[in-house]
Order: sequence, then C-alpha cells, then structure tokens
Amino acid sequence: MRKAIALVLVAFVCLAGVVAGGSSEGSSGDTYKIGFIGPLTGDNANYGIRCSNAARLAVDEINAAGGIDGKMLELIAEDSEGTVDKALASYEKLAYMDEVCAIIGPVFTSPALAVAQRCQEDGIVMISPSATHKDVTAQPATNPDGLNYVFRTVPSDALQSEVAGHYFYEVLGYRKLASLYAMNDYSQGLALGMKETFEALGGEVVAEETCMVGDKDFRTQLTQIKAAAPEAIYIPNYTVEDAQILEQASQLGVNVRFLSSDGFSDPEIYNLAPDFTDGVIYVGPAQAEASTILTDFQAAYAAAYNGDAPDSFATNSYDATYIIAAALDRAESADTKLVRDEVAATKDFQGANGTMNFAANGDLVASQGVYEVEGITPVYVGSFQVVDGHIVQVD
Amino acid sequence: MLNFFQLILIYAGIYAIMAIGQNCITGYTGMLSLCHAGFFCIGSYATAIICKVCGLSFWLSIPVAAIVAGLVGLVIGIPTLRLKGDYLCIATLGLGEIIRNVATNLNPVGFNSIPRATLFGYQFASRNKLSFIILIWAFVLVFYVLFQQLAHSRLGRAMIAVREDEVAAQSNGINVTKYKISSFVLGAAVGGIAGCLQTAYTLTVQPGSYTFMVSVMVLCTVVLGGMGNAKAVILGAFIIQFISYLPQLTGLTNVIPAQAKQIIYGLLLVVMMLCRPQGILGRDKFRYGDPRTRTEKLRDFFARGKKKEMGGEA
Amino acid sequence: MLSGSLLFKQFREKEVGTITLYLQYIVNGLTLGAIYSLIALGYTMVYGILKFINFAHGDILMVGAFIGLIIYNALTGGEAADPGAWTILAFFISMLASMGFCAILGMAIERIAYKPLRNANRLAPLLSAIGVSFILSNGAAWIFGTQSRRFPYPFENEPIHIGAITITPHQIVIIVVSVVMMVLLTSFVSKTRMGKAMRAASLDQSTSMLMGINVNRVISLTFAIGSALAAVGGILAAFDFRVYPSMGTMTGLKAFVAAVIGGIGNIQGAMIGGILLGILEAVGAPLLHIPNGMRDTVAFAVLILVLLVKPEGILGKNEREKV
Repeated sequence: MRKAIALVLVAFVCLAGVVAGGSSEGSSGDTYKIGFIGPLTGDNANYGIRCSNAARLAVDEINAAGGIDGKMLELIAEDSEGTVDKALASYEKLAYMDEVCAIIGPVFTSPALAVAQRCQEDGIVMISPSATHKDVTAQPATNPDGLNYVFRTVPSDALQSEVAGHYFYEVLGYRKLASLYAMNDYSQGLALGMKETFEALGGEVVAEETCMVGDKDFRTQLTQIKAAAPEAIYIPNYTVEDAQILEQASQLGVNVRFLSSDGFSDPEIYNLAPDFTDGVIYVGPAQAEASTILTDFQAAYAAAYNGDAPDSFATNSYDATYIIAAALDRAESADTKLVRDEVAATKDFQGANGTMNFAANGDLVASQGVYEVEGITPVYVGSFQVVDGHIVQVD
Repeated sequence: MLNFFQLILIYAGIYAIMAIGQNCITGYTGMLSLCHAGFFCIGSYATAIICKVCGLSFWLSIPVAAIVAGLVGLVIGIPTLRLKGDYLCIATLGLGEIIRNVATNLNPVGFNSIPRATLFGYQFASRNKLSFIILIWAFVLVFYVLFQQLAHSRLGRAMIAVREDEVAAQSNGINVTKYKISSFVLGAAVGGIAGCLQTAYTLTVQPGSYTFMVSVMVLCTVVLGGMGNAKAVILGAFIIQFISYLPQLTGLTNVIPAQAKQIIYGLLLVVMMLCRPQGILGRDKFRYGDPRTRTEKLRDFFARGKKKEMGGEA
Repeated sequence: MLSGSLLFKQFREKEVGTITLYLQYIVNGLTLGAIYSLIALGYTMVYGILKFINFAHGDILMVGAFIGLIIYNALTGGEAADPGAWTILAFFISMLASMGFCAILGMAIERIAYKPLRNANRLAPLLSAIGVSFILSNGAAWIFGTQSRRFPYPFENEPIHIGAITITPHQIVIIVVSVVMMVLLTSFVSKTRMGKAMRAASLDQSTSMLMGINVNRVISLTFAIGSALAAVGGILAAFDFRVYPSMGTMTGLKAFVAAVIGGIGNIQGAMIGGILLGILEAVGAPLLHIPNGMRDTVAFAVLILVLLVKPEGILGKNEREKV
C-alpha cells in the first residue's frame, strides 16, 4: 500500500518538474499573450470551438503582418466545458500562470458571470464575444482603481430583445406571439426581454413554453402552441434545439413564421434542418454596409478551417481579438491597466460586425441587424435601433 | 504554477469533503447513492440565498445548508432506503436529476456576485487562495477526524455491520433502517457543506454545474481511493482533481486533445476495477488467510476467465 | 335556451379540442416510448442475467447511430440522395451492419471490462461500466467532433393527417421497427434453445451450468443481442434526436428508468415501461399544468413513486432475498 502512495507522489513530483520546465519559457518578453476561455468539449462545444478558431485566425493574421511593433501575439485557449468551476480554473491558469494581458471569453453566460467577477477584482481585461446576459457587464469593479475591466462585443440581451420586440410588433405587425425557449440564461433572458417589450407595446404572448437544454422532443410544446394559434413563434435557442423545433413543427403542421435570435446565425442550422429554415426571421449583429471586412473574414475562416462557416459569435470573437490588438498597439505595453484604458478608449472600431463602441459599463453600443432566411441563406434586411420607443432603420 | 497547485488543493478539498459524505453512505453503510450532486446543489443554493438574498453571514449558511440537505436526505431516505441495492441507486439517481431540474426551472441563471465570506474582519477573497486552502482543509480535517471517530463508535460499527450483512445485523438487534437513514442524512449534510464552501470560492451558483456526472465523479473518488477509508477518499479526491486539471497544469492545453482527460478517467476506472476493485488504499477483503502474493492473485484473476468457473451469485 | 345550447356547443368543442390535443400528445409519446423500449430491452436483459446496470449501454447506442450514419452516407451519398427504393435498402443494410458492429462491440466490452469482475463486489462492474461509457463517448467526441449530425430520411417524410392528429412516416417506422424487434426478441427468448438457456441462466447461473448450459456463451449472446437492439434504437433515435457523442447519456438513463418502471429483468416489462415513460413525458407536463421544462422531474418522480409502491416494477416478480 505504501508503494502505491509513493508511486502517486513520485508521479506528482515528476509532472510538477515537467511543468516547471515547460512553463519557464512562457515568460519571454517578445510576445503578448491573450487568453481564451470557452467550451471546447461538451454538447455546445461548437460555439466555443468556432470562437477560439476565429480568435486564432485573427492572431495568425496579425502575426503574419509582422505582429504588434515586432512583438508576436500568442493565443492560449482554455476549455471551460461550459461550467463555472472549469472556467474559473481556466481563468486562474491564464491570469496567474500565463499572465495574459487580456482574455477573450467566456463564451456562455454563467461562466462569464463568474470570470467577470474575478477580472474586475484582479484587473484583467475580459471581452466576451457571446455572453449576452445583462448582468455580465453589471459586475461591480472591485479592483483598487474602481475601473471597469469587463467588455463584450455581443449586444446585451436587453438590447437585442428590445429591438426584437419592437421589430416584431411595429415592422412585422404581429400582435399574438408564442415563445418556446430553453431554460438557460441565454434563451430565457431573450424570451422574457422580448415578452416585456412586446407586451408593453400592446401585443400579447399567447403561449410561453419551456424546455431544457438538450431536450430533443418538442412535440408536446408545439402541440400546445398550435392550440393557442399564435401569428408567429419566437425561438431564441441554441442551434441544436432550434433545428429540432423547426423540423418537428413542420411535421406537426405548425405553419406559422418562426422568429429567432443571434444563436440562429450559427450556420450549423442549415446542416441540421436545411428543409425547414425558409422564412425564419432572426435578429443578429448589424453588418457594415460598405465594408469587405466581414466577407474577407468569412473567406479566410473557411480557408483556414476546412470550409467551415463562422457564426456571429465567432465574428464577435474575431473583432474582440482585433480590438485587443489595437489596444496593445496603442498601449505599447502588456500592462493590464494600460491595455484596459486603451480598450475602453476604443472609438468607432471598424470590425467585421460594423462600427463598434463600448458604453461606460463595457456593453457594446451597436445597432441590431435583422435577417430573413431564404432557403438556406440568410438575407440581410437592415440594421435597426430603438429610438424614443420606436424602431428606426439605420441603414 | 504554484497558484494552480493551490487551486487544485481547493477543488480537491471540496471534493474530499463530498467524498467523505459519500463514503459515509457508500463506504460505511454500503448503500449505492448517486445523488451527491443534488446535496451539493442544495448546499450551494443555501449559501447563495442566505448571503445574497437574505444578506446574512456565510457562517450561518453552513449549518442551514447541512440541515436542509440533511432534511432532503431524510425525506427521501425514509421511503427509499427500504429499497435494496440497485433500486436505491436508481431512486437516488432520480432524486439528483429532480433537484437539478427543479433548480434549473426555478432560475436557470442561478446567482452571481454573492458576497464574500468574512471572519473577524478578514475577507475571503478568491485571489488569496491560501486562506481558502486553510479554510477548506480545516473542514476536511474536522470531517476526517469526526468520521474516523464515527467509524469506531457504536454508530459506525452498526453501519459497517449493515454493510456486511443486513440480515445478520438485524438478527443481532441492529435497527437496520435507522442506521441506514442516519448514515444517509449524515452523508447528505456533509455534501451540503461542501456546496457552501464551493460557493464561497466561486461566488457563482449555476444549476448546470450539478449534473449526474458530478455524482458519478464523487462516487469514483470514493471507489478510487478505497471505500470505507476516510484517508483513502481524500487521496482519491486529490487524484481525480489532479487528472481533471492535468492539461492546464502541464501547460499543454493546446496539445492534449480536450477529451483526453475524460478518456484517462475511463481507462483508470476500468483498469482500477480490474486490478484493484477495492481502491488504492482499500482493504483487501480476501487478504486474510490468502497466501498468494498480489501478482499471483492478479494472474489467477485473469486466468479464472479461461476456466469454467462457477457463475456469480445468482 | 339559445344561449344555453350555444354554451353547450362551445363546451363540447372545447372538450373535443382537448381530447384531440391529448391524442396528439399520446401519438408523440408513443414514438419516444418505442425508442425507450428498444433501448430498455438491452438494460433489462443484462440485468436479468448479471444483476448489474450496464451504464455503457447508452454509449453503445451512440456508436450504433454513428456507424449507421457513416455506412448510410457512404452508400447513398447522404443528404443529396433522393428517397427511393435504394435509400430504403441502404437504410436496412446500414442498420444490419451497425447491429453487427455493436453486437461485436458489446461482446468485446463484456469480455474485457465485465467478465473478470463477475465475482467481485456489486460496485465494481458498475464503475467499470461507467469507465467504458466515458471512453466511448469521449472517444467518439474526439474522432467525430461534438456537433450534431442529421440522419437523412431514407423515405419521403410528408406528415399524414388523420383528423386533427398528425403523424409522420418516420414515427410510424420507429414504432413498427420497434414492435418487430420486440416480437422477434420475445419469440427468440421463449421458443429457441438459446433463449431457454438465457432464461435458465437468469434464474440461477450455477444450476444452469450444472445442467450443461454454457453460461459464458449465454452472457456473450445477451450482450450481443442487447447491443444490436441498442444499435437499432440509436439509428431510430437519430431521426428524432440527431447523432452526437453524448446522445446516449440521457437517452440511456431514461431507457433505464423505463426498464425499472416496467420491472427490470423482464422483457415485456421493458416494453411497457418504455411506452409508458414516453407517453408520460409527452402528457405529464400539460396534464399537471406545469412548465414543459419540468418533464424530467415528472419522469423521475414517477420512477421514485413506482419504486416505493412496487419496487420490483410493474411486471417484476417479487424476489425473496435468500439468507
């Protein structure tokens, strides 16, 4: 028995030695390290993998163009498995072992909430490409300087659902909607936000059905919704659930329009439910009208990753990487406070998602785009903003 | 590096506490329970609600969590513990899923920005890991001593008797149901306390963290270390957490495929069960009077498959 | 008078509406239940003979679905193929191939991970099974990636409307194939020599060995049949659930719950349990007026209730413990 313990201890010591040897090279002075936290394994890993791929693509592009004043960028991607404790462990590793100057991620809201607290406390810039919940940027700045270190390149769900509610009521003219959403922070936030806006305008949500993430059978909910006879159904879920919902709705003869959110921008949906996406309208990121950044990015991404297409979160992640790179370029230092100041000072950044600015709390200030799917191609309708309680098309 | 070791120490401590609770149920009394994630969840929520919603002290949440988790254990335990073996396992599995499902449906976001724990004006900030290590391992030590004492007390001996042979224990005047329930409630309460400590560190509670996998992990911790041995389960917790963070610890996250550690878990479990089903520090049931050395036993073990052996306990 | 009859008419309409609504739920639940039943059969057969829960069963289902999908796509060119006689034939070929593969996989797993543990304590094979399940699901995630894949319909899948009730051909296929498989299995177990040996081994292994039954072969066969059924279940589930590495985890757990509700170790019980659980999941939440997100709570609460009232399950026999 003693032997077994001894063996385990020896294994620990050996590994520790390997680690110590391996990590000593990390502190060289000619690279800027950027961390990434997202789910690289698990059921929703496709979102994390795309975001990390996009960030890596941006880093490779910057390095190929000579880096930042001759210094190379290094992206260190850590797996959060979509859970809080693994995301925190990833954060600890990035913040203390790699001493990164900024973090992209976490991808999902709950880990983002946990990591945002720590970033605020330790003073490390965090830019989430996809955590939409309104509380992510509401974490108090607990660092000694009282500065905000948490940003995101995705609109808060409050903004998105407001535009969605107004668009459905004012532009599409719906008065009776149904919603079917998964019980997670992302979908519930959007569905409740949309309901609030929509009902404040005078509409009615006639059926509100829920499911769990990972559910595969939505026939009961759809049958209930069908009985309530809404004009359209709002499904702000992840791709896998949305694909099932669309297909099963068609099989049950639910022939109304489906409305969705930026989760729908994941092109995976066209592999999973290609026959049922026609006519879906979704609210997503706005697009810059006269810019080729987005199409260039999509082409580069497809070339780098076997023809895979990026979703809107990956685009956000790509933009976040460039925002950090620009901040590093201006700060000329990896000092986290200087980097933060420069990220916060970002003004009219021209990214793949158009012109981007940050509000004082780190939220993205942007218009929302509306897309209508024709067959399996999303067609951009335009970008919208809510001004004085009415929706206005920006361009 | 050192920092990451500290983190593993914290997580290992939390798992060690859970494993001590599970060990009380599975190791001492021999009941296969698969709902420790549920008790863990109850503890986490107790801390989150008491600290955030009620604005009370973290220290108050520890007894509350223990009591609530224990009560849930009691309410579920009284009817289900009369089930035998695998049926109990299934019932507890169902309970764990119900707790998570209800928590998710009540509030899928959970709680965040939970106030930190303070002690005599000292604030437990997640950054200062040393204080957390001391706090959590102090709890581990307390539970270790308590359960070591318990194992040698009247209660503990009765539990072990129940594990070894229920019928024999009953015929010796041991109230089997009573000891089963006390063991289950104790284990549940300890699992709840582990949840408190976890929340004190992460300051975030999210229902998605309490999946069936967590229960399985805790059970693996106990079995890996050695059932019925508090020292062993602590070692088990350390090994499980160490493997869990191996890619990050070695700085090879970009090299090692993300699934590798789960596959290592799987291999470890299978190999462990094949070679040493009683765990690393577990007591070898058949050692007494068995003159064979371990290698001989191992050889016999695999050779046995070739012989026409008598079947299992039908 | 007039208003009274109008009220009555409205009431009738509402009632008829509710009834068709529930009929629709039941039709939906039947599909789900048929899949659960097929998978539950594997759990129940293994439990009947070895008295242990094969936690890796759900992952064998996943492997079956992946193998079936790969073979089907290789034969037909996947999504692009127009449904026709060839796609239906290819579907059955891929199903048979996947059944064969999974049967071998199941036997191999039994030989490597469970057989040496047959006389160990009860926990050992259970944990070994959990280990195998980790290896299979994460190995699949490693090889295939974690994204979901679609299993193309090999036949035209236009919904059929019967009155106000809608059913699709794939649902009918799921139910029919499940029923055929169950009939085949039942007649195999009750009519053939090997089936008899299986029943004998599940009653008393030592005695049946003394009677000249090769128990090892019976156990291997049990795993082979159970895994082959899991492969069928996986492919049928793929229509509704898509194919992804963790598809077996929750489906397997539910199927296992079905097996317990029906009476674990009992083949007819597994079928009844599966159908019951499927319908319960579809009907439970609307019947109780609770959010549909809580349907798992309903399923597991029923499980606990069944265990409390009749621990041996609906069709299970009450076995006296031998002292």
